[in-house]
Amino acid sequence: MEQELPIIQIRNCLLVSIQTELHDRLALDLQASLMDRVRTVNARGVILDVSGVEIIDSYITRILNDIGKSVRFMGAECYIVGIRPAVAMTLIEMGVELDSVSTALNLDLALEKLELLQ
Amino acid sequence: MKTVEKEIGAILSGTISSITQRSIFNRLGPLATTPVHQLSASDRATIMRELENSVRLFARSNSAQLIASCAKALEPGAAAAVSGAATAVATAAPATLAPKKLPIEQEKDIATARLEAWSEAVRIGLSKFASVKVATAVSELARNIVFYAGKGFVELRSVQDERGLVGLQIVASDDGPGIPQEKLQEIWAGTYKSQRGMGKGLVAVKKLVDDFHLDTRPGVGTTVKCVFKGER
Repeated sequence: MEQELPIIQIRNCLLVSIQTELHDRLALDLQASLMDRVRTVNARGVILDVSGVEIIDSYITRILNDIGKSVRFMGAECYIVGIRPAVAMTLIEMGVELDSVSTALNLDLALEKLELLQ
Repeated sequence: MKTVEKEIGAILSGTISSITQRSIFNRLGPLATTPVHQLSASDRATIMRELENSVRLFARSNSAQLIASCAKALEPGAAAAVSGAATAVATAAPATLAPKKLPIEQEKDIATARLEAWSEAVRIGLSKFASVKVATAVSELARNIVFYAGKGFVELRSVQDERGLVGLQIVASDDGPGIPQEKLQEIWAGTYKSQRGMGKGLVAVKKLVDDFHLDTRPGVGTTVKCVFKGER
């Protein structure tokens, strides 16, 4: 099943809501199309909404970090929003870092933080 | 022509995330894509049993109402049979469970195993946070199997400790290439970096669980046995 995650543009930010199981192919496609879009629309920020993701393991964390890193290389900032409390606790306990992205409680706050950057 | 997946998906959307819905439908197998009007009475009962468990676990509110809507969507006459099954499940509510062996062969099995582990954890009475930890650990172990061994299985069973508390034992086993000694040292030292993962899956699992046992033999396979202890 070929699928692609829709990328939504809000002013000069790009938003992706992750509502599906991330796997290698999908993650790489997302990373590539995000970088493309960051360049074509001069995006200041990329926001990944993971509020629909109930479990984040080390593999998904690596994917998010990789996307964050590549977005930062382009000069934009990457925000992860909507991490659930239980997911956050689990990541802490596992000793896994989300260090290549910024986080915000929700979409609104991420947009606010990105606006302040301007 | 409406399939089970479409009908039920429409009812659950907004309450249960699409990722979880996907796993629920995966568990239904071919029944998920069967047109509603072609369902037999026993099909309906199977679907409703599965849905009731999942909806009760994952819906944040009014699960009873959702279950009733699902039953109605499948067939008006099904509702009566379902409410009977619901009370039977509610009164039985076993604290222990029969061992469950889940084959892990492809990426979608990871999600299925995760969901299965999550619901078992809730069923034996682990807290919400502990159940998420259980699901995460199973996710890591199942991923290792798919990435490095190709296929294997994850087995879940309830275990009782000396204090009488019920916990969950997870056994992940494969007959893949095994982990060579020097690589194992790198893994525990935190210096190992794999191509696909972060090389941190095993370390993460070890930190999450209460009891951890690794048996790996190059050329023979790998078995990880771990336990989440029951909570007071």
